[in-house]
Amino acid sequence: MGIQKDRVRFNVGGRVFETTATTLANSGRNSLFGAMFNENWDLQPNITTTEHFIDRNPDCFSVLLDLLRTGELYIPSNIPEKLLYREALFYGLLDHVRTAKWGPFDGNRLHLARSITGRAPGDGTAIRAGPDGGCCVAHGSMVHVYDWMLEEHPPITLDYQRVNDAIWVDSESIVISACERLGRDDGGMGLFSSSTGELRYKFHVSHENLVKSYTGGALSFNSDYKLFSSCKGRSNEYGVGVWDQVTGKQIDFFYEPQGWSLGDADKLQWLNGTNCLLVATLFPRKDNCYISLLDFRDKSMAWSWSDIGAPIADERRVRDAIAMEETNSICVVNEYEDLGFMDLRSNNGIVRWSSRSRLMKGKMPDEPCYPKLALHGGQLFSSMNDSVSVFCGPDWVLTSRLRNSHGGSICDFSIGGDRLFALHSDENVFDIWETRPLSII
Amino acid sequence: MSGGKKRNFGQAFNHRVPVDPEKTWKILEDAIDEIYNQNVSSLSYADLHRNAYNMVLHNFGDKLYSGVASSITSHLKEIADSMEIVQGPMFLEKLIYKWTEHNKAVQLIRDILMYMERTYVKYTHKPSVHELGLNLWRDNVIYSEKIQTRLRDKFLELVHRERGGDVINRGLMRSLTKMLMDLCPSVYQENFEKPFLVESADFYRVESQQFIEHFDCGEYLKKAEKRLNEEIERVSNYLDVKTEAKIAIVVEKEMIESHVKRLVHMENSGLVSMIMDDDKHEDLSRMYTLFGKFPNGHTIIRDVMTSHIRETGKDLVTDQERLKDPVTFVQDLLNKKDRLDKIISLAFNNDKAFQSAINSSFKYFINLNPRLPEFISLFVDDKIRNGLKTDKEGDIETVFDKVMILFGYLEEKDIFEKYYKQHLARRLLLGKTFSEDADRSFIVKLKTECGHQFTSKLEGMLTDIKTSQHTMQRFYASMSGAQLTDCPTLSVQILTSGCWPIQSSPTCNLPLEILNVCDKFKKFYLGTHMGRKLTWQTHMGTAVLGATFGNVQKELIVSTYQMCILYLFNYVNRLSFKEIEYVTKIPSSDLKRCLQSLACVMGKNVLRKDPMSKDIGDDDSFYFNDKFTSKMYRVKIGTAVSEKESEQEKQETRLRVEEDRRHQIDSAIVRVMKSRRVLDYNGIVTEVTNLLQSRFLPNPIVIKKRIESLIEREFLERDKTDMRFYRYLA
Repeated sequence: MGIQKDRVRFNVGGRVFETTATTLANSGRNSLFGAMFNENWDLQPNITTTEHFIDRNPDCFSVLLDLLRTGELYIPSNIPEKLLYREALFYGLLDHVRTAKWGPFDGNRLHLARSITGRAPGDGTAIRAGPDGGCCVAHGSMVHVYDWMLEEHPPITLDYQRVNDAIWVDSESIVISACERLGRDDGGMGLFSSSTGELRYKFHVSHENLVKSYTGGALSFNSDYKLFSSCKGRSNEYGVGVWDQVTGKQIDFFYEPQGWSLGDADKLQWLNGTNCLLVATLFPRKDNCYISLLDFRDKSMAWSWSDIGAPIADERRVRDAIAMEETNSICVVNEYEDLGFMDLRSNNGIVRWSSRSRLMKGKMPDEPCYPKLALHGGQLFSSMNDSVSVFCGPDWVLTSRLRNSHGGSICDFSIGGDRLFALHSDENVFDIWETRPLSII
Repeated sequence: MSGGKKRNFGQAFNHRVPVDPEKTWKILEDAIDEIYNQNVSSLSYADLHRNAYNMVLHNFGDKLYSGVASSITSHLKEIADSMEIVQGPMFLEKLIYKWTEHNKAVQLIRDILMYMERTYVKYTHKPSVHELGLNLWRDNVIYSEKIQTRLRDKFLELVHRERGGDVINRGLMRSLTKMLMDLCPSVYQENFEKPFLVESADFYRVESQQFIEHFDCGEYLKKAEKRLNEEIERVSNYLDVKTEAKIAIVVEKEMIESHVKRLVHMENSGLVSMIMDDDKHEDLSRMYTLFGKFPNGHTIIRDVMTSHIRETGKDLVTDQERLKDPVTFVQDLLNKKDRLDKIISLAFNNDKAFQSAINSSFKYFINLNPRLPEFISLFVDDKIRNGLKTDKEGDIETVFDKVMILFGYLEEKDIFEKYYKQHLARRLLLGKTFSEDADRSFIVKLKTECGHQFTSKLEGMLTDIKTSQHTMQRFYASMSGAQLTDCPTLSVQILTSGCWPIQSSPTCNLPLEILNVCDKFKKFYLGTHMGRKLTWQTHMGTAVLGATFGNVQKELIVSTYQMCILYLFNYVNRLSFKEIEYVTKIPSSDLKRCLQSLACVMGKNVLRKDPMSKDIGDDDSFYFNDKFTSKMYRVKIGTAVSEKESEQEKQETRLRVEEDRRHQIDSAIVRVMKSRRVLDYNGIVTEVTNLLQSRFLPNPIVIKKRIESLIEREFLERDKTDMRFYRYLA
């Protein structure tokens, strides 16, 4: 009796499917089935007797029904992915498809899912992963946006202002910082819709209650909806600005101290544990490297390091830096991908370089890309030439190397939405690396 | 169903348009009407969903969205109109009922428009159907002219009734608050919270006026606290949490802040009488808590308390009657302090600011009476000599700790030291110490408070007594029995010179037997301690003498001088004052005092005087009183020394203190200048005061004089270029 009552019969585009209400319940309240079998719609009395007709593609329905039954997605080769996505959108199952497509991120189990070739030539500025598996690629004065299905959305165009950095604040919004052009009050930062490319609002900077135009640099945000950007104003108003991400209002400004660099920063990183912002200005933007942790509560530099005055050989130039809060340290990298570590608990300025490789020196390509660093789930990533290295464990041992022979050196990469995106510099190609979903069998 | 489908198919085929927006919309609009008419069972969800999907797919998203908005709007307008005719108490219930229905309808409409929400709404950043439903309800129902004021008045009326003691439907109130909050926190704030706060302020303004006329301070505070708790409970029952802080401020302002002055100064029940009363801790605690809610509240309490303590303290220390008994006087001070401390800890949450207010008040009035250092020392003296009389006073350590607090308030700590030294010397030399441990423990406390320098001499005194006992034991052990037979027993206290507050006075002539044994001791002592000098202080010490009056044996306890005098009467019966003075070489003032106590005190007069009179004259003569009787076997003959200082002694002590201070200021100036080399007058004063304030507060005028004296003695000179500066001469 119980089983009988539970049964549901569909006629989808002429094919009859039988399933159970329990299976359909896996689709959640915000789906077609969720609404259809909700008690408010009074379908209960005839749920078992009626055949529900749905005027859709039966092949796709079959795939999606299996997804609801097993939690796994298997797309037969005869069904185009796009068609399946469209059907899933109709039923309200697109999120199910997305979560079933690739698994939780693990740097050591990545496989190359796809490579996408863009329209523009090479030399991209930056690639940024979105929170739900999409990404955007900054390119001169344009930012190309892709959703997680790698469908390209209308690009964000900035009227010939050069884009410096982009950041996804949520899956619907991207903040972009751009250069100011002399003689025009533009530049700065704006929040754009990722699906339509429209400007929603701009972030202004005021100094002594006067709105000033500025060049926006590196970007970061925290869980309190605060947005940070390094800023260069026309009248030497250099520093780091803070805005409310929801209202777009400026709420704070950390002016650059004498003899230090904040406004030119290459990288900002918010640290949740210490409530501080890492600001790193690196060679060759400046002749020296400046790395500091800013505490906005008392407007102080909680930690700082610089190579001013130190006689530095070229191989000791810091090219990127990242703070690792779990180990209270900052990791830096030089141009030969040697990793160095600094202790955040002391201000002694000592960098412990790991003497991993000096082999690279002879084999550098003609136009090398500077190494970049990223941290995800306790794994450290660094890009070098045409590959991305993965380091694990307390001693940061090299455990995996991701390489795709196509496209030349990697100029930027980004991790987010359980995917890794790597942008090549010679050609406008970016790779998408995913972890396969865990199989039950 | 199947027939309907055929017809749809046929129409679409005939018209050759993929989607007719007007027709499709009509279907959806009818569905929305049915939903609002509670007629959902007639609808097919799958069909409606497909229709809505088709409209969005064919770019009629705008039409669909605006259509839904206007359809919901017209239904809500109907609801608003229908509310108008609802009368009386059912109004709120009905409104909540309609609100629940509306929410259900919006949920169903959203189900139909699911595809629109996922695509059109997301890309256009329009409010979701749920938000749309809330906004339309707010604009068409809550903000409609017929409902807005009525809703607010009903709400306030119910609150007012509850304040008056009625029981109201709290569930309904909770639903109303939740509705307003769901719409938007600002809707709740503007339409309910603000008028509620204004109304509450009016209510409590009136009520507090009535209360203050009828109740005393303690009673009033109790009522206010009750009202405050009621309001906070009301918030937790059916208002938004954020209202709590706001209504609390209103109640506190109307009930407490506007009446602060009147409450604090209320006759017979205000702050002062609460402090005076021993069992008002609960009321005080309430006052502390309630007054703490607004700025200055605690400051007002503190100011009143401080001036009260200062006034009563001043009265206490200047009350001539009380000054007659130093021990009770100090005990009173300690009790006063105890009582206040208890208030701070029980009622004022050990508030640091209050503690320091008490401290500064005590510091103020204690130093108004220059005799306090002496009194405190006397108090300690009394406790050490007599021990504690009752258990109530607790441990002697605790008493000392309390005394140390009073001591901490003293500005002239060096005067205390002077007296303490005298009293300690007297205790030690006369063997009057109740326990030596008590003395040691008090000195340890002084040491922690004032440092090693302050107590080194005091410690030296204690050590002297200890060593003396050992020395005496060794002395008797070294003497064979034969050497000492028939000799009087000797007990010597060897005092390091300089440590003791004793003016050396010339040795009198001791009786031969005594002199004999003294010489033996001297030989023994100097034999073991090379290079020392021993001088006998005959104006101190006691002796026990056996005497026979008629046939009666008595033991007399007398001072050394008195012993010398009485010895003379072993050989002669009658001696004149001059003769005694000549033989004994006792200074005449001391001799007079000794004779007075031997001859003029009733019941103790072992000598008789001729002529009989109170005072001793140079020509008087004395003879042995063989008729002396006493109930006691041991008779103690006192010396006329008063415990409290005489006026002249007081002057002397003062002078000695002044003298000492001069030296200390001198050395402090030299120390400062040695490290600074050059400094101006103000700088010197500050630094010297810093150095010395643990002992006393140096007077700047005195410092100036000392600087001048140092210049004369060529320790310092004035700077030649800038006269304001002084320079150290090495």
